[in-house]
Amino acid sequence: MNTLNEKIVELLKGVIDPELMVNVVDLGLVYAAKINETDHKINIDLTLTSPGCPMGDMIVEDAKQLILANYPAYEVNIDLVWEPAWTLENLTEKGKAALGHF
Amino acid sequence: MNQIASQNAPSSWVVVPHFMFGAITWLVVTLLIVFNSAAFTQHFFNPILLSITHLLALGWITMVIFGALYQLIPVIMEVKLFSEKLAFSSFFLLGFGAILLAISFWFFSFGTLMFIAGSIIVIAVVLFVLNVLVTAYQSTKKSIERTFIVTAVIWLLFTVLAGLTLAINFTHTFLKPSHLELLKLHAHAGLAGWMIQLIIGVSSRLLPMFMVAHNLTTIKLTFAYYLINLGLIIGIVSLYLQVNYVVTISVILVVVGIFGYLSYLYEAYQKRVKKQLDIGMKQSALSFVVFVIPLAAIIILALNFEILQRITLPLSVAYGSAIFIGFFTSLIMGQTYKTLPFIIWLKVYRGKIGKVKMPLPKELYHEKIAIAQVWIFALGFILFLLGILTTINFLVSISGIVLFLSVALYNFNIVKIIFHQPKNIE
Repeated sequence: MNTLNEKIVELLKGVIDPELMVNVVDLGLVYAAKINETDHKINIDLTLTSPGCPMGDMIVEDAKQLILANYPAYEVNIDLVWEPAWTLENLTEKGKAALGHF
Repeated sequence: MNQIASQNAPSSWVVVPHFMFGAITWLVVTLLIVFNSAAFTQHFFNPILLSITHLLALGWITMVIFGALYQLIPVIMEVKLFSEKLAFSSFFLLGFGAILLAISFWFFSFGTLMFIAGSIIVIAVVLFVLNVLVTAYQSTKKSIERTFIVTAVIWLLFTVLAGLTLAINFTHTFLKPSHLELLKLHAHAGLAGWMIQLIIGVSSRLLPMFMVAHNLTTIKLTFAYYLINLGLIIGIVSLYLQVNYVVTISVILVVVGIFGYLSYLYEAYQKRVKKQLDIGMKQSALSFVVFVIPLAAIIILALNFEILQRITLPLSVAYGSAIFIGFFTSLIMGQTYKTLPFIIWLKVYRGKIGKVKMPLPKELYHEKIAIAQVWIFALGFILFLLGILTTINFLVSISGIVLFLSVALYNFNIVKIIFHQPKNIE
């Protein structure tokens, strides 16, 4: 991952799952974050812990607004993806600790 | 991209009145317990107890289930609710019918008033069932949870139709079994067919979602589904035909089925990713622990031990109270904190991300008050059950006061959630 893409991921740490109260990056919900400087596009692949998650579109909207606030000249596209399905292994060490896995 | 559940959510004006009406009804019931404790220490076939039970079953439990279901069906079946107008009409009829029915039981008025009240409730339920079935039909998501919900609403229809038939039978007796046996039949169609199955259908999807638990053994739910429904059908036919030993077998089938479901939930609890349970989940967990009491009581009652004949009556009232107040009510109060704040949060903050200060859904209620509510409730329930089992009226009244305090706190939080206002970013 290049530095610019890493910057997007870093920004996404500001998006909190309101049920679990952990950010989407540490939950391992961000599958891909790519910035295309030539086309001025940012594409993000995001998953949710459960396909029927009632908070789904709020999380997506929150992520989109956050990126747009930092990259106003860019077109932000967030795709919800379900493959591979989210598992416990996706959690970062910080995510595990926040959820009580020590 | 998959459909996201919250895009299918109904307007909050359809859902919220159900919670408000239910919470006020439950508060009124606690006062009725305080001033009518004797109703709980005599034979259960008494006007006041029948009145309170129907108010609780229809005006509180069924009312909140209706409201919550309109919100949760889109989550479980991944489809939009068929009609909000139908839902709102059903709300008015159910509320009005429940009050009217409670009044007619209170004054033991089995004639026209009870018939009108029963008919209004049947219409309310027909509208609700229609709404759920058409919605379920539109869903492509075929799951065991959906099957439980569809079966439960059909049992609800059977329950209210049976109730109306019993009301007619009170004044123009045409059925062979006694009113008491028919009441058991009607009550268990409602308790196990409607309420327990509905709770299984909804909770087996939602609780693992709240705890983030994956890879669960869903065959346990299929096992529960067939045992519960087989047991119920056999039980109702044998109650009607008065074949007592078959009734006992049916009770065992239903209870074993329920344990299949409890084992599924326990598996979800063990596999949960979110280790700490919030206050809503703690009260829900408490309700599942309490659930073992009525399950044990019904087995004891069904086995009809000679030695326990003397306590059959208080045990029967304790059984009903433990399931209505210990399990259903406690679970609903707990799950209110998992659903209502999200419903209001979505209503208030949809489209406002970045424009206003966003709290977490759990910040919409007062957590310390919710914690106090749970503990006071636990104390009130223990006193209530002790009062019933020892047939001490004074203890039942005291428990009513304690429960009133808990429900008053619950109502405070409900009002706080419903009237939540967003704060602008300074």
